[in-house]
Amino acid sequence: MHTRRSLVILAGALALAAPAFAQQPTYRIGYQLPLTGNTAQYGQDFKNAAEIALERFGKAGKPFKVEIVFEDSRSDAKEGVAIARKFVDDKTIVGVLGDFTSGVSMAAAQVYKDAGMPQLSQTASHPDFVKISKWQFRNITTQAQEGPLNADWMWSQGYRKVAVIAEQSDWGQTVVSYFVDAFKAKGGQVTVSEMFNRGLADFRPIITKIARERPDAIYTGFFYEDGAQFLKQMKQLGATIPVHSTSAAYNQQLIALAGADADGMKLTATFLPNNPAANVQEFVSAWKARTNQEPGQFPAQAYDAVNIMLAALERAHPNVTRESLRDQLAATKEFPGVTGATTFDANREPAKQLMRAQVKGGVFAPIAN
Amino acid sequence: MDYYLQQLVIGLSLGMVYALVAIGFTLIFGVLNVVNFAHGEVYTIGAYAGLFVVAAWAPPLAALLLAVLAVGALTGVGLERLAFRPFRRFTDEASLKSRAMREATLMSSLALSIIAREAIELIYGSQFQTVPLKLLLNEPIRLGPVTIVNGDVIIFVTALAMLLALQFVLTRTRVGLSIRAVSNNALGARYVGVDVDRTIAWTFVVGSAMGAVAGILVGLYYGAIFPSMGFNPGVKAFVAMVMGGLSSIPGAVICALIIGVAEALSTIFVASVWQELVAYAFLIVTLIFFPRGIFGGARERV
Repeated sequence: MHTRRSLVILAGALALAAPAFAQQPTYRIGYQLPLTGNTAQYGQDFKNAAEIALERFGKAGKPFKVEIVFEDSRSDAKEGVAIARKFVDDKTIVGVLGDFTSGVSMAAAQVYKDAGMPQLSQTASHPDFVKISKWQFRNITTQAQEGPLNADWMWSQGYRKVAVIAEQSDWGQTVVSYFVDAFKAKGGQVTVSEMFNRGLADFRPIITKIARERPDAIYTGFFYEDGAQFLKQMKQLGATIPVHSTSAAYNQQLIALAGADADGMKLTATFLPNNPAANVQEFVSAWKARTNQEPGQFPAQAYDAVNIMLAALERAHPNVTRESLRDQLAATKEFPGVTGATTFDANREPAKQLMRAQVKGGVFAPIAN
Repeated sequence: MDYYLQQLVIGLSLGMVYALVAIGFTLIFGVLNVVNFAHGEVYTIGAYAGLFVVAAWAPPLAALLLAVLAVGALTGVGLERLAFRPFRRFTDEASLKSRAMREATLMSSLALSIIAREAIELIYGSQFQTVPLKLLLNEPIRLGPVTIVNGDVIIFVTALAMLLALQFVLTRTRVGLSIRAVSNNALGARYVGVDVDRTIAWTFVVGSAMGAVAGILVGLYYGAIFPSMGFNPGVKAFVAMVMGGLSSIPGAVICALIIGVAEALSTIFVASVWQELVAYAFLIVTLIFFPRGIFGGARERV
């Protein structure tokens, strides 16, 4: 008897609670990213990072729920624009994350600009991206910050003659121009400046061309796969010129692919998985549980981007509109992410601290100089 | 001087890589005269199969190549069954002479290649696979002022062996005779008693086995194994075949070497982003000025 009565009470309580539960609003965020195609590994990483962030958010017992809609852009600008139109037409979507490359992000941004949709990319680092409209945000340092810093760093090591090589893309162009301008302003000399097509199998003709000018060092703008090829073939040809790179090359897979040939490369980074901070370790262990690997910098940036979006949603709640979400994103101050504290300036550019690292014995180790 | 010599050597080694792919490709597409755009994926499958064998048994290189050869042969059988044989089910004269029937395999082989590529991507992801570093064929060998790697030697020997074996088969054996007969006139070959289906199937077996071996060798040479790895060498092999006059395997090999050397030397004069255009430039020049290939191949059509 007793049990039956409590069951009745429980059922009644549930019936009363149910409407309250249902009233808890769900906000929907769109995420456009390459899930298939040549850059799928990056998009899959972003998706994993977003799901980790969302899971963590769900456990925190917030007064609202968030759903992320993932759409595959294949790193294709046409697809990116089509997805942007779809997101804009869906009135339940209040904000958008992505895309991966600057090119696709900027193409989609035109749609978001016209429709008034906040867009936060974890990786679009082309200087013009956030200049498109007040709706564009990013969670990555640009080459405008990284280039001069690397120029300083290389100059301080006594390098005066430097060769520059970068992939042929919007991003690669900025790697070259910001570094070269800063390095030349110091009085440095740039011997060779070469672009290559991403996915180039054989770097040996370029390396031979670079080595001929006997530069003190090489400054490179590549992602980890091209980076691994480049470093292996440098070693193959016996070229012992020091190599510097940008945070884009920061990925544990670079070392897995190039082995000892990667040793000695120096680069700037905003995220190092061996950082002992509690939030970094929480993310690193969640990532390892999911992928059996160490997270690189891009997943970390995506994780932060999603969390920045979620924090802005929380501040905008309960009056969440595309407009209010944008304003709350713009008001992001000292957000404690795994890639450092993030504050958006008036141009919706994040100020981040860059660390210096070097590949030593199979790990990216932080270094002072 | 050393600089130009080094670039020349790099170009030759690039050319050898293209030649290795071009041999199997030319055998099916050019010699047998069957439009096949799935060779690049056979190459990719060879590389992934090799990687799988390495992970499971870690055999010596020769055994690995034999295993990949077998996988390539099976892939060839499957490819021919799925994408080519259905278009030969009509044996009447009109169908056999129809260009449309013959060229329909352009779409079916392309479709199959897309399916294969996307399937590999779904299973393995689109990133580079990690190749055990000690298996890489990139041990440097210094020859005076220039540097080559052990992979260059292995690829050269393999390509040469394939070339000589195929030349022997095609010109000295009955099998080669029937391949050339089918290529020349499928209907006529049937009338004189050649088993057309069998001949075509065997040519696919041999061509695809060679393509798969090329895939694993080049994969280990560069340490770059990924789903779309077959596209670029496929394009180069195609251009080499067209330049060489379609039906000539030695012609394709020589033209592959020309393309490789031209690509490497082009970096001396122009920015390296233009390197990719070299092959296309050769293709256009060939089509306009040498419609029979630069060595004056036997067939009119290019």
